[in-house]
Amino acid sequence: MSAAAQDVGTVTRFRRFLVSDHVAGWAFILPSVILIVLFGIVPIVWGLILSFQRAGLISPEREWVGFENYARIASDPKARQAAINTIYYTILFVPISIMLALFVAHALNRKIALIRFYRLAVFIPVVTSTIATGIMFLWLFDKNFGLANWLLGKVGLGPFGFFEDPNQAMLALVMMTVWGWLGFDTIIYLAALQGVPNELVEAAAIDGASRWTTFWRVTWPMLGPATLLLVVWSTISALQLFDEVFFVTHGGPLGRTSVVVFYVYRLAFEQGLGALSLAGYAAAIAYVLFLVILILTLAQFWLGRRVVHYSS
Amino acid sequence: MKARLLIVLAVFGLLVPACTGGGDESSPTDETASGPVTLTFWHGYTDAEADSMNALLDEWNADNPDIQVEPLFVNNDKALQKLTVALQGGEPPDITYQYGSSLPQLASAPGLVDLTDWVQRPEVDWEDFIAGARTAATFEGKVLGVPALIDNLAVVYNKTLFDQAGMDYPNEEWTWDDFRAAAKALTDPANKQFGFSYPMDASEDSVWHYDPLLWQNGGSILNDDETQAAFNSPEGVEALEVLTGMAVDDQSVYLDIQNSNYTDIFNSGKIAMLVTGPWDLSSFPDVDYGVSILPGFDGDHQTIAGPDMWTVFDNGNGRAAAALEFVQWLTAPEQVQKEDLATGHLPIRLSVAQDESFLQDFGEVFPGVDVFAENLSNVEQARPVMAAYPQVSEAMGLAIVSAMLGESEPQAALDQAASDANDALALGG
Repeated sequence: MSAAAQDVGTVTRFRRFLVSDHVAGWAFILPSVILIVLFGIVPIVWGLILSFQRAGLISPEREWVGFENYARIASDPKARQAAINTIYYTILFVPISIMLALFVAHALNRKIALIRFYRLAVFIPVVTSTIATGIMFLWLFDKNFGLANWLLGKVGLGPFGFFEDPNQAMLALVMMTVWGWLGFDTIIYLAALQGVPNELVEAAAIDGASRWTTFWRVTWPMLGPATLLLVVWSTISALQLFDEVFFVTHGGPLGRTSVVVFYVYRLAFEQGLGALSLAGYAAAIAYVLFLVILILTLAQFWLGRRVVHYSS
Repeated sequence: MKARLLIVLAVFGLLVPACTGGGDESSPTDETASGPVTLTFWHGYTDAEADSMNALLDEWNADNPDIQVEPLFVNNDKALQKLTVALQGGEPPDITYQYGSSLPQLASAPGLVDLTDWVQRPEVDWEDFIAGARTAATFEGKVLGVPALIDNLAVVYNKTLFDQAGMDYPNEEWTWDDFRAAAKALTDPANKQFGFSYPMDASEDSVWHYDPLLWQNGGSILNDDETQAAFNSPEGVEALEVLTGMAVDDQSVYLDIQNSNYTDIFNSGKIAMLVTGPWDLSSFPDVDYGVSILPGFDGDHQTIAGPDMWTVFDNGNGRAAAALEFVQWLTAPEQVQKEDLATGHLPIRLSVAQDESFLQDFGEVFPGVDVFAENLSNVEQARPVMAAYPQVSEAMGLAIVSAMLGESEPQAALDQAASDANDALALGG
């Protein structure tokens, strides 16, 4: 083959490549790929490197310390407190929000007047900004001037400290976030409920099953995939709680609402910026959290595959 | 054609800074700009403060076509975080407003201009700045900032509530026992009325409200060579017991956990006395308030100052020198006086603070602020300027809040905090 012919061959191959679906496909997704790489992958890798260094975010000095940052976590009482707070929050938040959502979705899964309004009302908190929610709950739950205590006072309860009481602050935070996320869970359940075939429910009724039995024996198993999704999703977001803590309690009172991600923020962006160089340590904690979430999620899926019933 | 032009421009844009940015040997404060520069200038002023700053900037920009200053609003509370991000991107602002307490963290920042030699220049007149502000600007012997603003704490009280109760207003003779008794007398649980309010977010705000009591009583935050915590001394415990006595025993304190409600509540007439600074006065349009210096222990009425700084970053190309020229102008007595009369900021310069005609005008425009201005002479000590201070502060903040919530005894709380603070100090920094 002559050189000229080979050139022509390369050019046609290149032409063919240019018009193929590969290039078009990549071109279409390129914008989001660039964004994901830039704001997702790069920080993830950078964080991993950081976690093996003694480094502050302001100071350019970096010192390789191996696993020292990871070893330090075990003997840090504040990290332990943050972990306990996070687990406490997750254990409360996940079941409460899911059960409440199931209840609300069930209540909204019917044809009554103004149903669109009710569904909208349940969903609005999800799209409300955390700051607005936070400010509202701060006043609502104010110990002295809040509406919650005023109402509770009418029935002879309280006054409660809510965010001000070290022993109640986390519970108040759970109430606030459950309210904020209820709409999302409800929509998922509502969609799942509408996917439950009516003939199954009717067949159960004809067989003489009570409504209660029908729900637990027919509807609930059909909701399995939705429940699994919500358990996994809620657990991940609960373990990563940050916004509400940052805006509303700032970890207080007395560090009782200092959750892991908030502690990481404080170390990296408030206390360890300069010579204390705590950003590397903060990155190590963040990576441990990542591993915990990864293992937990895999375990949930593994368990889910055994328990959840997927209808065809 | 257009595309090619763009490429040429882009390449040109990349090369020009690379060629001219190489002059690192000469001191950034001496290098002069080769042409007109536009400086980025971060500040956190809003409302009247922003109007005053913009008026000053317009004046400067009109007189200095070669050094244009472009302001950008950056919330003061997050200025350090925002600067961190800018530094990561390699593009810090030329001038930024920072809390004095952030200086030790900033000391290791690349490009921060060391002003130690610059402040020796006669035209800067460094000795004319208030002493406490100069101390706070200095970290490990280096001057890293130019004082921008200084505050201090005094008692702000609701005259109406005192009149209704037939009580005398706080005065310069008051002890903390007088203060406590007044707070108790002015507390009315049924009416949700409190004698006093305290910031309970365990932040530095919780700590610096306690510091004056500690100092007045003869205690100190750290030992003399700043290696060990000293606030858990008997003097420190006694100082904290004043606060716990009010919060726990008398229940006369509105415990502001988020440290965001007290201004509204004071303004609605439900709090009789605050310990706060001049920045809050504009939040109290509905209250007939008075200002008095802090109560004292044994006749010692010293207070605490919170100085903020202008810091300068070297972005090469003579920009730092231009920035310093502007900062020098901005903090010169003439501009300080203008700004103070427009905003109610306390004079950062002695020559302004001691100017009789200025003080008279100042007191007329901002009733009560003159008390804060005079109170600057009651500033005797400064908080430690060190990298470990944020952790010392956190430990103290938790102890104060814990004791005032009745969760622990003052002695035990401060001992625990001292132990945590010592750990942080031992880590160095």
